[in-house]
Amino acid sequence: MASALTNVSLSTFAAAARGDVLARPQGPARVTFPMVSRVVACRAGGPATPPGISDKVSESIKDAQEACSDDSASGECAAAWDEVEELSAAASHARDKLKDSDPLENYCKENPETDECRTYDS
Amino acid sequence: MAFCSPHTTTSLHSPRTTIPNSGFRQNQVILFTTRSSRRSNTRNGARTFQVSCAVDKPIVIGLAADSGCGKSTFMRRLTSVFGGAAEPPRGGNPDSNTLISDTTTVICLDDYHSLDRTGRKEKGVTALDPKANDFDLMYEQVKAIKEGKAIEKPIYNHVTGLLDPAELIQPPKIFVIEGLHPMYDERVRDLLDFSIYLDISNEVKFAWKIQRDMAERGHSLESIKASIEARKPDFDAFIDPQKQYADAVIEVLPTQLIPDDNEGKVLRVKLIMKEGVKFFNPVYLFDEGSTINWIPCGRKLTCSYPGIKFSYGPDTYFGQEVSVLEMDGQFDRLDELIYVESHLSNLSSKFYGEVTQQMLKHADFPGSNNGTGLFQTIVGLKIRDLYEQIIAERVGAPAQAAKV
Repeated sequence: MASALTNVSLSTFAAAARGDVLARPQGPARVTFPMVSRVVACRAGGPATPPGISDKVSESIKDAQEACSDDSASGECAAAWDEVEELSAAASHARDKLKDSDPLENYCKENPETDECRTYDS
Repeated sequence: MAFCSPHTTTSLHSPRTTIPNSGFRQNQVILFTTRSSRRSNTRNGARTFQVSCAVDKPIVIGLAADSGCGKSTFMRRLTSVFGGAAEPPRGGNPDSNTLISDTTTVICLDDYHSLDRTGRKEKGVTALDPKANDFDLMYEQVKAIKEGKAIEKPIYNHVTGLLDPAELIQPPKIFVIEGLHPMYDERVRDLLDFSIYLDISNEVKFAWKIQRDMAERGHSLESIKASIEARKPDFDAFIDPQKQYADAVIEVLPTQLIPDDNEGKVLRVKLIMKEGVKFFNPVYLFDEGSTINWIPCGRKLTCSYPGIKFSYGPDTYFGQEVSVLEMDGQFDRLDELIYVESHLSNLSSKFYGEVTQQMLKHADFPGSNNGTGLFQTIVGLKIRDLYEQIIAERVGAPAQAAKV
């Protein structure tokens, strides 16, 4: 915790200090691997990929690396990486679905007449 | 002459009857729904008897883009402009790729894969390759929908990689086909009333896929890069060339406001609109047909770094006359968006501030603070306008474009 805080204040200070010397565009945009750090933060807030799809994605990546070890220009290699893309997109859609969904709301959409889903006018 | 077809539907594979009947009046739609056995499984579930008339023959829209390039977000914005959220078919296959709202049905063209995942692997072809897709069936079914007939469309299951049993699709008011190849086959292309291509530059595609996949187990910068690179030859050969046929292209590029930016966070987005398309009047900035560069930030509007820059003007695209509207930068505050909206013309909005309202309504969608969200919303309004003009023409009333 203490080290994290130190890091934060240090980097803020560094950015501010640099801002004083250089023109503004040279500020936070210069941080190394900004995408990576943002993604980690993003994942912490969102739902995880359902395990079934998650396993398929990581398996497909291994398969693709194997398929491409002989000839990276082969149709097999392209098809294997295309499968990775397809499953990665499916994983992303599955996460989006989880994000939007409330289990009770979903159940009631399908079963509006059940006791759990009754709404009362006062 | 109106053509009405009653359908009785008990499950996905129930026999259906199609009875020509000229006795109904135009615009008449009767819908009975019995939900007595909702609690039991869906096979014995909702029983729908529906009669729809051919005056409502669908208009057909094509949306092309690579996988992971924002088609779903665009579809959500589009259906929102028409009112009502789009949802998967109720009680059907949970892995269905179809979205249905009151007015619009969106189908995914992956459903016309002729080779499933195993088949593609054996033959060494990607899904981008036309050899992996059944264009004959795609054409037949899009044509049938356009004629107002229901179809039994296959479902490609993206999780299992298999073709699942077909689902019944009724003709909606607006039928959208989205996927890799809506404009690839000439026969399908000719059925489209309007077509859009989302053109994502390599730099932005890479940044977006890092955002999407980096946290996924097994993925790394190397695997994301390898996947893009391995698919690129087929993408260049079969997907990219379709943009020449599109009535509107949304091109997404890295910003020019930040020198050497490679973060992919600030975007420069171009809306390329074909001239001379019936029922489609391109949006313009200040003076139609002139060349304009505009920085809205100044005395009236203060923008935060890196600011906002617009440009507009005539151009040619694959040898055709187009108008191009470009936005670089992003909106940080509501008043910036309203200010920009008030300076654009021919938006086809129904009231002042409708674009801003749509953007705010979906502030959580990716791109709601930049040109991707703005131009997707505008194209949505344009498609609504197009639909209304086509219907007005069919009914015989003078076509009137809603212009604000």
